[in-house]
Amino acid sequence: MRLDPNSKLAQRLNPVLFLFPALSIYIVFALYPTVSVIEYSFTDWDGISPKRNYIGLENYRKMFSDKIFWEAFRNTFVWSGVILVINVGLGLVIAAMLARVWKARLLIQTCIVLPVVISPMAVATIWRWMYQPKGVINQVLDGVGLDALTRPWLGDPSVVLYALAFAHSWSTIGLSVIIFLAGLQAVDEDLYEASKVDGATPLQQFRYVTMTALRPVTAVVFILTLTQSFKVFDIVWTTTQGGPIRFSEILSTYMYKRGALENDYGYGSAIGVALLVIVSFATIIYLQIQNRKDQ
Amino acid sequence: MRNFYGAATALGVLCSMPAMALAQSEVVVWVAGEPGQTTIYDELAEAFNASQSDAVNTIVKNSSDLFNPALVPALSAGEGPDLFTFGTGPGQPAALIAGGMVADLTDAYRQHGWADTIPEGIIVQTSSDGKLWAFGNEVETTGMFYNQAIFDEVGVTVPTTWAEMEATVAALQAAGYDTPIGLAGADKWPVSHWQSMMFGRYAGPDGIENVLFGDGAWTDAPFVAASAKLQEMGQAGWFGPTPVAIGYGELMDSFWAGDVPMTFTGPWVIGGGIEAAGDRIGDYSVFAVPPFEEGQKIHPTNSIGIGWYIRKGSEVEEQAIAFLNSIFIETTGRVALLNAGTIPVGPLEEALAQAEMSQLAQDIWKTADDHAANGSVPAFLDTITPGSLTTVSYDGLQGLLLNVMTPEAFTADMQDAWAEAKEAGKIMRPGGIADE
Repeated sequence: MRLDPNSKLAQRLNPVLFLFPALSIYIVFALYPTVSVIEYSFTDWDGISPKRNYIGLENYRKMFSDKIFWEAFRNTFVWSGVILVINVGLGLVIAAMLARVWKARLLIQTCIVLPVVISPMAVATIWRWMYQPKGVINQVLDGVGLDALTRPWLGDPSVVLYALAFAHSWSTIGLSVIIFLAGLQAVDEDLYEASKVDGATPLQQFRYVTMTALRPVTAVVFILTLTQSFKVFDIVWTTTQGGPIRFSEILSTYMYKRGALENDYGYGSAIGVALLVIVSFATIIYLQIQNRKDQ
Repeated sequence: MRNFYGAATALGVLCSMPAMALAQSEVVVWVAGEPGQTTIYDELAEAFNASQSDAVNTIVKNSSDLFNPALVPALSAGEGPDLFTFGTGPGQPAALIAGGMVADLTDAYRQHGWADTIPEGIIVQTSSDGKLWAFGNEVETTGMFYNQAIFDEVGVTVPTTWAEMEATVAALQAAGYDTPIGLAGADKWPVSHWQSMMFGRYAGPDGIENVLFGDGAWTDAPFVAASAKLQEMGQAGWFGPTPVAIGYGELMDSFWAGDVPMTFTGPWVIGGGIEAAGDRIGDYSVFAVPPFEEGQKIHPTNSIGIGWYIRKGSEVEEQAIAFLNSIFIETTGRVALLNAGTIPVGPLEEALAQAEMSQLAQDIWKTADDHAANGSVPAFLDTITPGSLTTVSYDGLQGLLLNVMTPEAFTADMQDAWAEAKEAGKIMRPGGIADE
């Protein structure tokens, strides 16, 4: 039996057929694990035993009264805030400046983007060395007479989180810059000319032309940066494992400790679900704000 | 014609080689350890592979913090290693056993006469419900490693009293060594070696056992006093100006380079140290930290390093047992371990007669032997207490060193985690093997 390509059934089946490979991969590798994590969060599973006892919302009840969870929660927000400011704010400024640079632009662009392709473990190792008490950063500060600023970057509770967030931004800001640069290519040059005629300063041009034109691109970069920053694990784990004490403990490292190291996969999964909910909410709220502004 | 026979024989031999190779089964062995610190097992596997043709042992290594999270999913998926090292404390091994993922080694224990080698004290920690689950292979201790060349330069000798220890540290500080004792607090676990030793010194073997198996609490006076002493040492700059900013790798590099005079660690560093220090290795030795208080005894630290488990359902269980026998029961394996600074469990006379242990390895074991009559205490409390307590202890030890936590709050946090784990049945219970 041969299906008529013009039949209604064929018309309906066609998209399904094309979607099937990607959809099946998505279901197996994204949807199924996500649903499994949600399921595990209602159990006391140790990650090993074949037996999983369903304990209802017990893990969530425990989580809400767990002071370390809240410490990690607060740290995660500070962490993401710093990364958002650097990757979105500074990324936009760098892209806008790069768009006006013609000489050596490719070289500068390559330098900014290069860290993006370095493995996260390598990034962590590089920064772990640089942040050593006798590492290159403190030596440079000493060398230029700023020895008052030297400190054990990864051993000082007051700066460790910011130091690690900066290292993470160093390795990821290149992506933001590239996306912003691509967006800037699409901005009509006439708008800049017109604003110049109207007497706009370069700062006003940036505020009223560049930023306005890049609003949809900014939304993409914001969401990408936000989701990425919430998921970060490797750089923190490789450098401080959440220390000193818990001053760089973020939700992903705490989830790993409770789930994988303490074999409390049920509780670890509950933290994972909390992370999922937080990121989803933050994304929705941001998109809503953007939509309102556009309207 | 003669050529024909010769060629046919050669062809026959060549054809049979792949078949011989195919007949060999592979025993995949996972060993936890930092790079460069478990090379002895590669050498032992190589020697074992060369000595027989039934199986090929493939050693796979991974650092300890990534080992367990990789092992558990592998075992759950039925794709795990045939033979692997794992903790012997409560929690994870109990879950592996309950999950039916490890083989019962009781028959092998009886069949191969392991009782002659493995002491009762080790069996207690590696068995439950009357069955043996792991081969507790080696005994580890800890001691104060020091650089004699620096001591000579500064004009100090090995301290035997606490007053002398204080004078030594003061002299080193005055000589410009801002970190007299390297701690590696950034990695947390090295600090727990101090904690184990000091808790043992202040509470004694009975005090530790009273908490582990009795009604004692981590908030008891000796543990608070030990925590206070550690904090006091940290505040006095004994561990340098930034004790929690330096990791273990960086510390050991500095120690073997001659920049740090002392560090409290174990024999597993000796192999790497011999490579790193080269000809200067003779400058290094070990001493027992003097008693912290008047009337206190030196209790050597002793713990099982790790346990060796066989995956349940492994098709090469017999070969895996043969490999264990070759390294831990047969004299050649035990000699090789001793030469690498690892002390296998059981009687050592025969192996010691043939071993050529490094001076450093002899020194550390001598410090333990010298005080053995006082009774030993666990070297690694973190391996015999539940994971939740380990997390709290690691964080708290950093808190003590940074002076943002009091000894009372630290021990109270430990006790809370301990009580919770105890209530949930996640603490160690003495085992033992059932009679036949």
